[in-house]
Amino acid sequence: MANEKLQIKKLYALSSENKKFSFSLPLKHTIRIGKRDYEVKLKADEKLGTYILWKNRKYPVEIVRSSQNKYEILFNDISYTFTVETPFSLQRKKVLNSSKGKIEKEIIKAPMPGKIIDVLVREGATIVKGEPLVILEAMKMQNELISPVNGVVERVHAKANTNVMKDDMLIEIKL
Amino acid sequence: MVKINRILIANRGEIAVRIMKTATLMKIETVAIKTAVEPNAMYLASADVIFDNTEDNSEIPVFLDIEKLIDIALKTKANAVHPGYGFLAENAYFAQKCIDNNLIFIGPSPDAIYKMGNKTIARKIALAGSIPMAMGSEGNIANEEEAVIVAEKIGYPVIIKAASGGGGRGMRIVRKSEEMGKMFTIASKEAEKAFNDPSVFVEKYIENPKHIEFQILGDTKGNVVHLGERECSIQRKHQKLLEEAPSAALDEKLRKKMGEMAVQIAKAVDYHSAGTVEFLLDSEKNFYFMEMNTRIQVEHPVTEVITGLDLIEQQIRVANGEELKFKQSDIKLRGWAFECRINAEDVQAGFAPDPGKIISLNMPSDPCVRVDTGVMAGSSIVASYDSMIAKLIVKGKDRKDALKNCKMALDKVWIKGTKTTLPFFRMLVRHQKFQDGTFTTSFIEKDLEKYYFNSEYEEMLAAWLATKLFVEENLNDDSINVNFEHGKVMSPWLLNKRINQF
Repeated sequence: MANEKLQIKKLYALSSENKKFSFSLPLKHTIRIGKRDYEVKLKADEKLGTYILWKNRKYPVEIVRSSQNKYEILFNDISYTFTVETPFSLQRKKVLNSSKGKIEKEIIKAPMPGKIIDVLVREGATIVKGEPLVILEAMKMQNELISPVNGVVERVHAKANTNVMKDDMLIEIKL
Repeated sequence: MVKINRILIANRGEIAVRIMKTATLMKIETVAIKTAVEPNAMYLASADVIFDNTEDNSEIPVFLDIEKLIDIALKTKANAVHPGYGFLAENAYFAQKCIDNNLIFIGPSPDAIYKMGNKTIARKIALAGSIPMAMGSEGNIANEEEAVIVAEKIGYPVIIKAASGGGGRGMRIVRKSEEMGKMFTIASKEAEKAFNDPSVFVEKYIENPKHIEFQILGDTKGNVVHLGERECSIQRKHQKLLEEAPSAALDEKLRKKMGEMAVQIAKAVDYHSAGTVEFLLDSEKNFYFMEMNTRIQVEHPVTEVITGLDLIEQQIRVANGEELKFKQSDIKLRGWAFECRINAEDVQAGFAPDPGKIISLNMPSDPCVRVDTGVMAGSSIVASYDSMIAKLIVKGKDRKDALKNCKMALDKVWIKGTKTTLPFFRMLVRHQKFQDGTFTTSFIEKDLEKYYFNSEYEEMLAAWLATKLFVEENLNDDSINVNFEHGKVMSPWLLNKRINQF
């Protein structure tokens, strides 16, 4: 294992949209634009909290979540999720992905905590993309959760007049 | 007549702070209500008297409890009540109850609130005054079948609206008769839930309009003026996100014509205090009366900026029985103003509310910037109320100048603790259609590919940080491939502690 560590020359940060950012090791504290390197400084003070200083500008930054090699970073009020891969793990991931089957099911989860006002579909119903499925009330706003896919409603977990937590499973759709 | 000397603020958040600021300038005392949901809220600091209602374990919020509010006003010896916006601001019964208890209601008469609050009555009043309106049903619609008959007569698309509605709830657009059943049920249910009144009506849906509203001010002597228009076309699901005054779509002639109509509608209900007449403006510059809001509005600051008037002060003066000190010809609009509603919402998740504690809040201080807020660092945005953090109001000598200032101000706002609508506004001010003023109410749904702005460098910097963390966590260790922290979920906002280790 110790030997392997020495062999790693590069790391890749893959975004959720599969954009690849590569960084050579040891990791430099600079970001290159064109031919110039600009220093990146990670700082914190009482008033602003944590921030990155780059090209004379401060950007607010937070780690929202981190598990295994996955990081959710909030940078200038926008979330980014990256998985950081070594050349070896990246290769393994490629192999795994190519052997994965097709997705056959879409699960609609509650995007936020709230109250189910109404369930607009029944099990067995054929639905089209864009069709409203559930009305969820949160913070004085009624939100229509619409189907991202065409399919058939397989299971309905959501019940009208019940409270749900974020990420609670509401509807399962068979593609 | 007894003058107002102590006002109960029947509201919370930024509007409570806003009202108290003016009251204090006018040497009028204020009473604020401390609730169990927000016992440390910022608005409490502005009040002369705090009524502690934290022991109240009633289901409904105190700001919706008419009996309780009247009781608090009497107990704290307030002689006036300001309802703010939302909650009971447009509840005719509440206004009447205040009057019955010798409390001055800072707002219009219960009769005006009732007539304009009921959309079907408001339509009849507008119709009688020959105010242009979208074609629609004569009154409320009883069922889906009747809705289809009306819709076929006026032609699709149509919009179903709650008779007692407002704020976008109980509204559904129907494009063909097959959709009517479902949409009718949704609109009606939503209306019942939100306004205790399931009645709905149907009117012609104007495609891609601009939302133009006129600020009205009237006194109890029958004088009514308008203070120019606001454009509020930047909205999502009928919820306004950015407002500006004046509107790039109006010239002097159209402003005069629409303004006169707005004044006429207000006069038809003997309106006094501040109010807003909303119109839709189509691409041919035809305008249609939509509704009148009988309260101070969230977006009132943009009008204050271009008129130099304090609308809360005017409301209080009118409630005191004073006559307006200016005529229509005295009202001059100067400069341009934008208001960005900075809400605790996740723009990347379709503007889903993102309640939480505000860790830090730094707003720009600049002569061209005004900030109205009810929160500070340490405050919580609670799920039981709206998601507003602050209103960023930016002015300039003309639209271009105000836009430039707005762009600058947006980069200086610093909020930590929840996600905000800031990335949306940063995108908006860079969008061609927004810059040239040709946007309509369908802008967010139709013209936007992305709801937020970021530069490619920002993503790269975030990627660098993720990589940096990975290096810290794994490569300084001996066990590169195995020593991942399996399933470990970090508490948010933890970076501060970790940073010292770098």
